Amino acid sequence: MSLISFKDLTVDFHTPEGMVRAVNKISFDINEGQTVGLVGESGSGKSVTSLAAMRLIPNPPGIISGGEILFQGKDLTKVSEDEMRKIRGNEISMIFQEPMTALNPVFRVGDQIAEVLMLHRGMSRKEAWEKAEMLLDQVGIPSPKTSIMKYPHEMSGGQKQRVCIAIAIACEPKLLICDEPTTALDVTIQKQVLDLMFDLQDKYNMGMLFITHDLSVIADIADEVVVMYRSNLVEDNTTEKIFTHATHPYTKGLLSCRPSLDKNPSRLLTVADFMDEDGNELKVDEAKLVPDDKKEKKEETPVLLEVNGLSTHFPIKGGLFGRTVDHFKAVKEVSFKLQKGKTLGLVGESGCGKTTLGRTILRLIEPAGGQVIYDGIDITKLDKDQMRDMRSRMQIIFQDPYSSLNPRMTVGEILLEPMNLHNIGVNKEEKVEKAKWLMEKVGLTAAQLSRYPHEFSGGQRQRICIARALAVNPEFIICDESVSALDVSVQAQVLNLLLDLQEEFGLTYIFISHDLSVVNFISDEVAVMRAGKIVEMDRASTVYHSPKMVYTKTLLEAIPKGIPKSLLEKQNQ
Amino acid sequence: MSMSKTEALVKNNVQSVDLLKGKSLWIDAWNRLKKDKIAVSCLFIVIFYALIALLSAVGVIAADWGAEVGPSYAPPSADYIFGTDIFGRDVFSKVIHGSQVAMSVGLISSLIAIPIGVTLGALAGYFGGWVDEVIVWFYTTFSSIPQIMLLMSIALILGKGINTVYIALGLTSWVGLCRLIRGEVMKHKNREYVQAAGAIGAGHGRKLFKHIIPNVSHIVIIFTSLQFQIAIKSEVILSYLGLGVSGQPSWGTMIDDAKLELARGVWWQLAGATLAMFIVVLAFNILGDALRDALDPKLKGKG
Repeated sequence: MSLISFKDLTVDFHTPEGMVRAVNKISFDINEGQTVGLVGESGSGKSVTSLAAMRLIPNPPGIISGGEILFQGKDLTKVSEDEMRKIRGNEISMIFQEPMTALNPVFRVGDQIAEVLMLHRGMSRKEAWEKAEMLLDQVGIPSPKTSIMKYPHEMSGGQKQRVCIAIAIACEPKLLICDEPTTALDVTIQKQVLDLMFDLQDKYNMGMLFITHDLSVIADIADEVVVMYRSNLVEDNTTEKIFTHATHPYTKGLLSCRPSLDKNPSRLLTVADFMDEDGNELKVDEAKLVPDDKKEKKEETPVLLEVNGLSTHFPIKGGLFGRTVDHFKAVKEVSFKLQKGKTLGLVGESGCGKTTLGRTILRLIEPAGGQVIYDGIDITKLDKDQMRDMRSRMQIIFQDPYSSLNPRMTVGEILLEPMNLHNIGVNKEEKVEKAKWLMEKVGLTAAQLSRYPHEFSGGQRQRICIARALAVNPEFIICDESVSALDVSVQAQVLNLLLDLQEEFGLTYIFISHDLSVVNFISDEVAVMRAGKIVEMDRASTVYHSPKMVYTKTLLEAIPKGIPKSLLEKQNQ
Repeated sequence: MSMSKTEALVKNNVQSVDLLKGKSLWIDAWNRLKKDKIAVSCLFIVIFYALIALLSAVGVIAADWGAEVGPSYAPPSADYIFGTDIFGRDVFSKVIHGSQVAMSVGLISSLIAIPIGVTLGALAGYFGGWVDEVIVWFYTTFSSIPQIMLLMSIALILGKGINTVYIALGLTSWVGLCRLIRGEVMKHKNREYVQAAGAIGAGHGRKLFKHIIPNVSHIVIIFTSLQFQIAIKSEVILSYLGLGVSGQPSWGTMIDDAKLELARGVWWQLAGATLAMFIVVLAFNILGDALRDALDPKLKGKG
């Protein structure tokens, strides 16, 4: 008998715009000791499915309107709230995406682990703390004796996620639900956390439901994969079958839209190549599958941007009157050259200074020293007015498409503003014409100009950000984690768009990202940053295939392979 | 599912050109407010009061409040629904005329407080550093003086009269707004859309006035609706203390008169003024809360 089985589960949400079906009659099972990966894009209903299993769907507006969830023979949709409370955290527990907010900042780590034990196991405080210490050791937190006394803010993101895992496994649950547990973590940490979860699952023989939007993450650990698309279950098979013989066009699209290190196509295939809007399968254009070496053949071009010994310091305030007592050196004497029409990928883990470097190059943050020579002009020496003129040549696209557009302005106003500031276009008609043209260039329609940002999806908003950056006819754009917040399928579309635009307008990019496979796909050259310095910089293919530094190697090894282990072994034989 | 989706798509495409008029956050908020029946009734009450106040101000209604229409202290009856006062004046007319004072006090004190609060709050929040410190020092000092004391002293310095009430209330109520605006501006100035504006070459003024202020302006609306009821109550207190309006009836002066009348069993002047005030204050209060819910500044469409 399976541990938990979802039978025709249906969840509806009542919104002011009418009823929305978030989950539509889905059925699948998880056996003891089995890991099931639940894959889908944001809004596909995957998180709602997991919340339904915990009976944590906010009601109103959400309601489980049909089907059943059998957990060890008991229908969880029918049990009383009291009974459910005994199951949550005890027999079924959950790990969330954001370890920063999943822990309570005012309690010690020990208290938070002990809480579940005292609640469900009836342990005394002392017993619970002893067990907590053991658990911390098990999840690989160094020196658990002292760590147990720490507050969450004293720990790194990876350590916090380990604490969340310790809380989740404290009562040795039969089912562990993980909702994108590694999405917010750096690659190296992601690998450690995944390894840990795999070990623990083995040890406790837990059933595991692993939710993610990125198939490559679960390739290694899932036994079975369930794919959800627009509230429906579209495919359910063993991991190996999914990766080798996917049947649904959406699954095929998901599998191919993630850039991998060994193949280097000129454009990524997206879900749209496999399936039309209504879910009908399309014939894939074979020409798109052929890898090309256009990138390798790119000619040498004159240097557009030269950075010489650039440093950025942030003051650390302290003392009675908030005097500056010290400086945090975020960027330390960085130097590099970038040729016109090429892309420099800037990779590194969070906190390595890559974002600060990008903003310092644009003088959104003032440098502490060094030069930024753009097309022969040292822009660190320019005054305010000269800098303003310069801004039309250099642009930036931010990470979060939700906060980088002013919610009170229409898309038209957003696109017209930079043109007004830089006197592009003679009159209003000409500017509006250009805005329409930009919208079409980034794959939106001119009719959407009068809409507001909140009426668009994340991917569409990022397209608007790109259009805004293009409005001033720049030659150089910094993309600061510009695709990191997007679903993999949308990510591929935006990456393709960036490449198309580069080809058409001869743009030069600096592409900042923590995702090494994405950087490899888009960049000509790659610079690896660590602790404010560039530790390795070379052609992308050289960095990825024969890295010189140990640090680069560690980063590369941590990237999820994106194929199941069993397949990998077969390939190697 | 896919059927309805297709239909919707087809429909969308047919009408896409003229139907794609954006729905701003304001319209969105209005749509949300519309669904709240109680809030809408409160809005009507407020509009109704404003209309009465306007009509009495231009002299269309209750212009004869000063005329003797009946005997002194006539109890409520069909002729005089709220009875008459000591001079035989109709209390109902006085209540209506009093709404003019109440509404104008709310409006003008808001008009005084908003520019001060928004300007100082925005400057403090946006520039930070010593500008922030000076402004914060100024308003903490200002707000450490008990408000009623401040009100009274301003009223005493400026002398009696309706203008004093306007100025005193305006000058004492900007601190709360200033604090709120400062906090919101601080939050918004680090948002990426403000940085993006910097990257396309926008200066401080543009970033602050074109980008940040529109995003915090909902606070002003909520503030105004709550300020109205505070101002109406404060006018009553000031008038009761003898520092307020003179020469024309206000709810405050009516309640002030009533303190002597109650001993004689004349309760209707107090009841009339209190009832009128109670309804409008309650309406503003509920409306303020509903506005706060409707204008919830958290960005929509997240997740």
